[in-house]
Order: sequence, then structure tokens, then C-alpha cells
Amino acid sequence: MATSPLDPRLVRYASAARVFLVVGAFLALAQTATTLLFAWGVANAVGLAVAGAPFAEVLHYVVMVAAAVLARSAVLWLNDVVAARGAASVKSQLRLKLMQALSKLGPSWLSTRNTVHLTTVVGRGLEALDKYFANYVPQLILTAIATPIIVVILFTQDLFTGFVVLITLPLIPLFMALIGRATKAVQAQQWRQLTKLSSGFLDVVEGLSTLTIFGRARRQEQRIASLTNEYRLRTMKVLRMSFLSGFVLELVASLSVALVAVSIGVRLVDGTLTLAIGLFVLLLTPEAYLPLRNVGTQFHAAAEGVAAAEDVFEVLDAASGMSSGRSRKQGALDSSMTDSLGVRRDDQEASANGREFMVTLSGMAPATLMTDIPAFTVRGLTVAHGDIVVLDRLTTSFPAGSLTVITGPSGVGKTTLFSALLGFVKYTGDIGWGDTFFTGAAAARADISWASQKPSLVAGTIAANVSLGQPEVDPAVLAQSLTLAAAESLDPELLLGVGGSGLSGGQAQRVAIARAYYRAIVCKTPVIILDEPTSALDAVTEDLVISGARHFVDEGRTVIIVSHRRSVIAAADVILDLTPPVASSLLATDARAAQIHEAEVSA
Amino acid sequence: MRGVSAETREVLRLAQPSPRQFAPGLIMAVVTGLAAVGLLATAAWLITRASDMPPIMYLNVAIVGVRFFALSRAGFRYGERLASHDAAFRSLARLRVAIYRRLVPLAPDGLAGTRRGDLLSRLVSDVDQLQDLPLRVVSPALTAVIVAALSVTTVWIILPLAGVTLLISLILAAVVGSLVQSRISSAVDEEIAPRRAALDDAVMDTLGRIDVLTAFSALDSRVATIQAADASLRTAQLRRALGSGVVAALVSLLAGLATVAALYYGVPALVFVANSNEIPGLGWGVFTGPYLAMVVLIPIAVFEVFQSLPQALSAWRVVRTSAERVASVAPTTVPPEIPGFVTVDVAGSAGTRRDSTRSHLSVFTGLTLDNAGASWPGATSPALNGFSLTLNPGDRLLLEGTSGSGKTTLAHLLVRFLEFTGTYRINNVDVHSLDADDVRSVVGLVEQSPHLFDDSIRQNLVFALPDATDAQLHSVLVRVGLDAWVAERGGLDSPVGERGTLVSGGQAQRLGLARALLHNFPVLILDEPTANVDPGFADELVRDILTAASDTNRAIILISHVPVDPALVTVRMSLSSVDSASVSRTTVG
Repeated sequence: MATSPLDPRLVRYASAARVFLVVGAFLALAQTATTLLFAWGVANAVGLAVAGAPFAEVLHYVVMVAAAVLARSAVLWLNDVVAARGAASVKSQLRLKLMQALSKLGPSWLSTRNTVHLTTVVGRGLEALDKYFANYVPQLILTAIATPIIVVILFTQDLFTGFVVLITLPLIPLFMALIGRATKAVQAQQWRQLTKLSSGFLDVVEGLSTLTIFGRARRQEQRIASLTNEYRLRTMKVLRMSFLSGFVLELVASLSVALVAVSIGVRLVDGTLTLAIGLFVLLLTPEAYLPLRNVGTQFHAAAEGVAAAEDVFEVLDAASGMSSGRSRKQGALDSSMTDSLGVRRDDQEASANGREFMVTLSGMAPATLMTDIPAFTVRGLTVAHGDIVVLDRLTTSFPAGSLTVITGPSGVGKTTLFSALLGFVKYTGDIGWGDTFFTGAAAARADISWASQKPSLVAGTIAANVSLGQPEVDPAVLAQSLTLAAAESLDPELLLGVGGSGLSGGQAQRVAIARAYYRAIVCKTPVIILDEPTSALDAVTEDLVISGARHFVDEGRTVIIVSHRRSVIAAADVILDLTPPVASSLLATDARAAQIHEAEVSA
Repeated sequence: MRGVSAETREVLRLAQPSPRQFAPGLIMAVVTGLAAVGLLATAAWLITRASDMPPIMYLNVAIVGVRFFALSRAGFRYGERLASHDAAFRSLARLRVAIYRRLVPLAPDGLAGTRRGDLLSRLVSDVDQLQDLPLRVVSPALTAVIVAALSVTTVWIILPLAGVTLLISLILAAVVGSLVQSRISSAVDEEIAPRRAALDDAVMDTLGRIDVLTAFSALDSRVATIQAADASLRTAQLRRALGSGVVAALVSLLAGLATVAALYYGVPALVFVANSNEIPGLGWGVFTGPYLAMVVLIPIAVFEVFQSLPQALSAWRVVRTSAERVASVAPTTVPPEIPGFVTVDVAGSAGTRRDSTRSHLSVFTGLTLDNAGASWPGATSPALNGFSLTLNPGDRLLLEGTSGSGKTTLAHLLVRFLEFTGTYRINNVDVHSLDADDVRSVVGLVEQSPHLFDDSIRQNLVFALPDATDAQLHSVLVRVGLDAWVAERGGLDSPVGERGTLVSGGQAQRLGLARALLHNFPVLILDEPTANVDPGFADELVRDILTAASDTNRAIILISHVPVDPALVTVRMSLSSVDSASVSRTTVG
């Protein structure tokens, strides 16, 4: 909330916020009316009584006060209900929009962001908007509506009080801004140290087993005490500044009341004012400051919700920017060069080979996928993260009915190649079948079943995980997939927790492989890619997984595995070694052809 | 305090500052509250009195009073906030040390249910949450009660009937308010919290694996799941909203009714004094106009102070829950699966005994396990059973086995994180006769993910050997193959980042090994060093680690479930999850 007290994007992105603001304005008007009625009734009742009027004459003012009290409670209750409804609707709207935006932005965008942070924002972060709507915004509305009305009424009743309030009111935001700036400077100086000190205790506790191993655990008591003490001293330094704003709020409000009270008293002695007016003004003066004071005190509670909302807006802005800024949508087809099957003819290659187009293979039965069909091919594939070129003009093909193992040191772009094939990263170059290439970033995805390096399982049964993305579970295919992934010992009905908790690393890895196999069988994808599928497996299980992959190769599919494991490499039909050649820089002008080694098929 | 267990009370007691530290803040808070009431009451008196047009000198006291209350309200509030925060921080320091003392004998395996990392941070934030006990529970509640009591007394002296109605409305506000509040809060606990957690889980499962969900075209259905979780949360929250506003409305209603009652009783009670000019400023016993204004306006100010009571009550719920969690995670008793400490006095006879055992252990001659087993706290069956092992200086033992076969259990048994059954001897001395710290001076462990403290590389090394010279540090870094990396990072004083975020898994392993080498453990256990390492680096890391740690006087146990080059080890053992007794031992080479 750096610049404006109410972020206009909130209203723009969450239509529920608009309703809330309108209803809130009406409630603020009602609340102001009850405040005025209450003060008017009390002042006149006391005024009349002191002037010697009998109770019967005073009674209708007492009734007026009682009515004001009842109405005020009702308005307060409505205010809370409306705030809660507003917050709930806005949260839901933002959440849905955010998820839609993230789906649209996709993994490539998300990979550049802190997922953990975003998760917190979508979940708990947005919940902080409750406080924002219940405490902050109503006070903001009240400041905008009640304060001017009260000031005008004070002017009509007593000119002096009107001036006092009008002059002192702006002092509050002014001083708060000044103190806020000073505090910010202090905090900026202290921030790093404060964060470190506040997390210091956690650091020691988390490192407790390490400290115990080295016999240093008991010595940390002193460190914790001094760390916390240091934290106290530094925080107090900041607090001395930041509490000043509260001090100014209180001081301005209560000194103005004192000023008004004394001045009224003096003028009553002079006889230039009546008691009823004097009391009315006295009761009303603090009400002029109250909403602004509340805005000040709720500022920090609300800031958390606003911070979360701002994170959401950033994503929404990015998504709306993407749809307008991009000429070609994901997966869209370049119509001028595309045939009805969604495969683009490649001009040069087409003329050279005389092939008109090729058939999409995803609709065909596995039996027909044999070696006479074209190989899964990448041409000039280049991926860059910022300035760093991770994959440089890779051209290679993966023959159908063969097992290709990709090797090479870490960071050479093996996983990046998979991300490009799946359309998760921006790339240049082409992906396709034989010499016919897809258009659109993620078009190849439909032909691929993939097991990622991290199992990435979700909460639910193993069956639900394996059949991810399919509306129904086919028990036969499920059993077959689990068996081929060497996971037949796992109970398909076993319920996993969040993030697939409840399985060991090796078990989760095999479920992830089974998930890829399930999709391969049901969706008849011609390509299966497995990223480090056996890194957490022992040698026996590893052999079972390899023979499972071999089953799909024998069906005529293209199986591509990234692995460092010897037995996996030994099982390869083709090895694609992505190790950069020593003199790669000399070859930089030429598209680098990957070195493909035909390996002997190990029986 | 209903339903608060003794352990929780003990934790709460630790969080509350001593009366001496707490008193200044509380006194200033009460003065602040009284000043707020006093300001309105004096102002009301002043104005009403002035309407009788007395000589201005009769008003001087009230004028000074109004100004004094106005100033002191702001001033004491500022002082109160500083004093109470300072006291809360001071007791936080005490509390943290006390909780840490409880954690030390429990760590790491006795921390009930804290094997997931986030629960430890939960514990720490719970401990920090307890700061709110003095700040937001005790001080505001006491202040509200004291200010209310004094105000009621004042009103009662002026007009007893008005005092009684004010008292009744305050009590009603407190009782009904807290009842409604607790009903709402338990609805939140029972209904809203699980739905919120379900939503969090759905979001986490989706955002964390958006690549997989996209690749399997499952994203839309996941978004629908989130929407459903969100809708269910919203329904519960809206239902609660109908009730949640009731407390504020009720307090406001009762405050207003107290004013109405004061008018109702006060106006007929008003005594008209014919010649008011002769009545001095304070006329107890004579209920005149100025006192009517006071009894009518005081309730307005009292209820403003009193509003902090419902807030204190809801803060109390949060604090109590935190205290309960702290008490359960960090109990005062150590479970039987965790070795109790052999209490050793620094001075005295036990110290001598310790010195003598220390000298027994100064040269490592061998380690044996016979028919050993161990269990994790709360587990129904032992995780390791009937395991035997002989380890001599210079041995390099590879311990293989599938996950869940008890490899880590064995490591924790050996470093005395877990209590054992059977026999465990070091240098032919029964380990039960040794202090756990002494065992750990012989047997060291490099954990799967070694903890790196948010400090410099140097600090992450020297705690293993406090008087290490830079030359020693550099030579150990060379041995673990990190010298170039450290130089690239800017030397020994460059930071590793919070939880080692600036360091990769392999580098963390190497740093962990470096400090273990500095400490010069005669027996070194390496627990799955490649678990958090990119598969492409795994082989190289294992080779480097074993080469660096090898020493004719040192025994090494390498735990791994992935294949390791047989040439690197001298002995291989394999644990099977079915029955650890069927250990196979193969001597290599």
C-alpha cells in the first residue's frame, strides 16, 4: 500500500470488492447518523435536565439515545457480516483468477518464481485479507464519509471547534508520514540484522542434532540468550520510533478534545454558548478523529493482506499482459502452413524429401507403430535461461522402437531438453516426426508420456495418482502400469498425503513411472520420456524398471531416458551423450550435432 | 484456565515476565485507561459546571485536569507500549533458553513428531507466539478490569444506582461476550481450520507440480478441486460471519444501555441547588448537574477501554494453543527410546570418572555391536533388530539396504541418538557406562542433509574445532575438494545463506564432511551422502568423500541404497527390511 490507501487493482480484479465498497459506504452513512443521534440525544437530555426540566420533558431524548444505541449495534453487526462476506468473495475471486492465470502462464513462467511463496500467498496469504476487510477498509470508508460530515456539523454548531478539528486533523497523516519515513530509515538499517536475529533461534534449534554430534549443544544456551537480548535491543530501537506514530495519534486527538473542552467551558461562563451545544460538540469531537486513528492502528494488520493481494495482482498482470502481448498462443497452429491434422509441413525438408505431411501417431494402435515410421526428431533446438544458453542448437532424432539413454554431466541440459519437448520452456528450433515439425510451443506434449525427476505425486490414492488426468481408472491398465514400473507390490488404494507423503523416495519414483506408463497406454502416446527414473532405486529394482521400459520399446514406441546409472546405460539401444566437445567453442558457428553413439544392445 | 494441563501451565509461567518487570507496563497501562476515562469525565464536569457561569477560578482545577489527562493519556500509552514490549522480549529470552534446555536431551529423535522439518519451525514460532501472553492477554485484561472497577466505584459514589447498572452491563458484556467469542472460536477450530488446511493442501499439491499436471492435462480438474475447497471454506466463513459481529455489537449495545440507564436514573435524581455559585467544585453527596454529566459520559469512556477484554480473550486462545503444542513437543521427560544423560558434574568424583573414561577412549581400537536393536519413540516395533557388527580402525564399511531397512536407525544408535538393546562396546567398554557426549567424541555422523548455520563458511567449520587456524581450515577444504569453490565464493567469511540456501546439496555434504574431519572422529558414519545430490554428481561425490575421509586409524561406515563402486570400500554389509539378523557380510579385497 505504498502509494494509495486502497489499491485500485483490488476493485478491478475482484468485482466483489466493488459491492463491498458500495454497501460499506451506506453502512458508514448509517453509522455516522447513529453517532450524531446518540451525541445529540445525550447532550440535550443532560442540557435539559441541568436546566431544570422535568423527566417527562427529557424522556424523548432518552428514547432517542436508546434508539441510537440499538441502531448502532445493528449497524456494527451488519458491518461485520458485510466485511466477512466481502472478504470471502474477494478471496474466492482472486484465488480462482490466480489459478486460471497460473494455468495460462504455465510451468515455464512458474519456474521463474518462488513456488513456495506463491503457495503461501494463494492459501494463507489471501486469508489475511479478512483483517483488511473487517478492520481496515470500513475505517477507511468511515474516514472518507463520517469525518467530513462530522467536521461540517461541528462548524455549524461551534465555529471554534470546527477550526480546531479542521486544523489538527491533517496533522495526523502528516506526522504519521513523517514518522513513517523516519521509522523506515531505522528499519532499513536494522532489517537485515533483525531478520537474522529473529531466525537465529530457529537456526540453532534446526541445527540441534548437528550441534549434539559435535558436543556443542549445551554451549548454545548462552548464544540463544545473547541473541534474543540483541534482538530485543534492536527491536526496541525500532519500536521507539514506530510507536511514536501511535503517540502522535493519541496526542493530537486527546489534546484537541482538551482544547475544545476548555474553550467551551470558558465560553459557557461567558454565556455565548448553550450547555446542550457544548456537550454535543464535546461528544462529537473525538468521533471526528476516531476513524482516522483506527486506520492508523489497523494499518499494519491490513498491510499483510495487501501484500498478499499485491503478489496476486502481479501474477494477474503478468497473465493479462501475456495474452495481449503474444501473437501466437500456446499450441495454436500456424494456419497457412498447417494441414488438417495439426502438423506443419516444413518447406525445405518437404521439398527435399517429397513428403507432403505425416500422420499424427497418437490416434493409432501401438501395433502399427513400427520402425518404418519416422523418428521423433528435434532440429536446432536451443534453450536459454537469460543469457546462459543451456541447450545450443541440438539436432537429433530418436528412432521409434528404440531405447535412447541421454547421458552427460549435470547442467548440460538433459532435463532442459525434456522441458522443451513438453513446452515448459521457451525454445527456438523445431520438434516433430521425421522431417515434419509441429507448430506451437506445446504441440508435442500430446504425444509424450513423461516421468519427471521429482515424483511430484499429489494427495489421493496411488490409483488416482497413476491415472492422473484420466477421468476414469481402468483397473487392468492400472495393474499393468504398476507391474511394468516394478511397483506391483504397492496397494493401489493406499491413500497418500499432501505431496504424495507416505511413500519412500524409491516407491514414489516408481509410482511416477507407472503414471507415465498409464498415460502411454491409455492415450497411446508414441513417446515415453523418463528423467532419472532409477536414481533412488537399488540395483534389483532398477533392472525390473528397465525391462518395463523395454516392453514399450518392443511395442514400437520411442523411449528416452536420462540417467547416470550404469545398468541403464548398458540397456540402451542408442546413447546420446550431451557432454560438450572439448573444442565446442570452435564449433560455435555450426549447429552442433549431438554425438550419437550406437551402442550394442545388451541382451 | 479450564482445561489447561500442568505442563502447559509450566510453559505459560515461563512466558510471563516476573512481576518486577511486568509492573511498570501494567501500571502505565492502567494510568492510560484511567486518563481516557478521566479526560471525558472531567471535561463533562467542566462544561456542565461552566454552564452555571461560576467565577472562572472554580473551574481552574478541572481545566488543569482536562489538560493533564489529555497529555498523560498519550504519554503513558507510549511508555506502556515500550515497557511492556521490553518485558515481553526479556521473558522471551528466558523462555527460549528454557525450551532449548528441554530440547537438548531430546534432540533429534525424541522430539515427538518433529521429524518433519516444518514442525520444528512451527515449534519455534509457537515459542515466539507466547510473547503475546503478557502483551496481549494479561496486561490488557488486567487493565480493563482495574479501570472498569475504579470507574464503577466512582460512578457508584456519585450515584449508586448508575454505578450498579454500569457494573451489570460490564459484567454482562464480559460474560456474554466471552461466551459468544468462545463458541465462535471453537467453530473456527472445528470447522474452518480443517477446511483452510484442505485448501492449503490442494493449492500446494497443484502449484508445486504444475509441470506434471500440465503434462498429464490434469490441471483443469485440479483447479476445480481448489475451487471446491475454496467454496467449502467460504461457506463456513460466511456462517461464522453471522456470529462474529455479535460480540462487537453486543458490547456497543451494553455500553449504550449503560448510558441510557445513567440518564434514566440520573435525571430524576438531580437536585436543584438554588444558588449554585455558593457550591464549591466538589460537593460529594449533593448530586448536581455536573455529576449527572459525569455519570452519563463515564460509561462511554469505560467501554472504550473495556473493549480490549474480548480481544484479550481471543489472544488467549491462540497463546494457549501455542503453549499446549510447545508443552507436547518439548516435554520435560525423555522417552525411553532416547538415551538418558549420565549426569556428570563438572567438578567432583563424576568428573574424575569422566576423565578416566575419556582416556580410555583417546585411542580408538574397535567397536562392536552384538545382537543390537533400536526403536523410534512411539513406534510399535523396533526398526532394527539383532544386528551385529565389528568395526576396526581402517575399515571402510558399505552398509546397503532398501529404504526402511534400518540403516539410519543404526546410525542413530551408534551416535546415541537412540537407546539400544543388546550390546554395544567401544574399545571393549560398555557404552552404557559412558556419557553420550563421550560416545560422540568417538563416533561422528555426517547427516543426510547436514545443517548449515546461517553464518559464514568459517563459522560453519570452526564450531567443530574452535581453535582451528586458517591453515587447518584451508587444508581440510582442500581435502574435501571445496578449496576452489570457497575461493570463488569470496573466502572463508562468505555466507552460506539461510539454511544453506546458497550451497548445493553436494557442497553441503562436503562442508559437513569437512567439519567432521576437523573434529577428527575416529569412527565416521556417512548417512546417504548422495540423497540430496544431483544424480550426475553422485559417483564423484562418494569417491571424493571416501578418499578424503580414509585414514588407517579411522573407521568409516558409508550408508547407501544406491550402488557404490566396490573398490572404494573394504567391507560390505546388507540390511534387509524383513529381518535385520540376516545380515550378509562380504569382505571386499
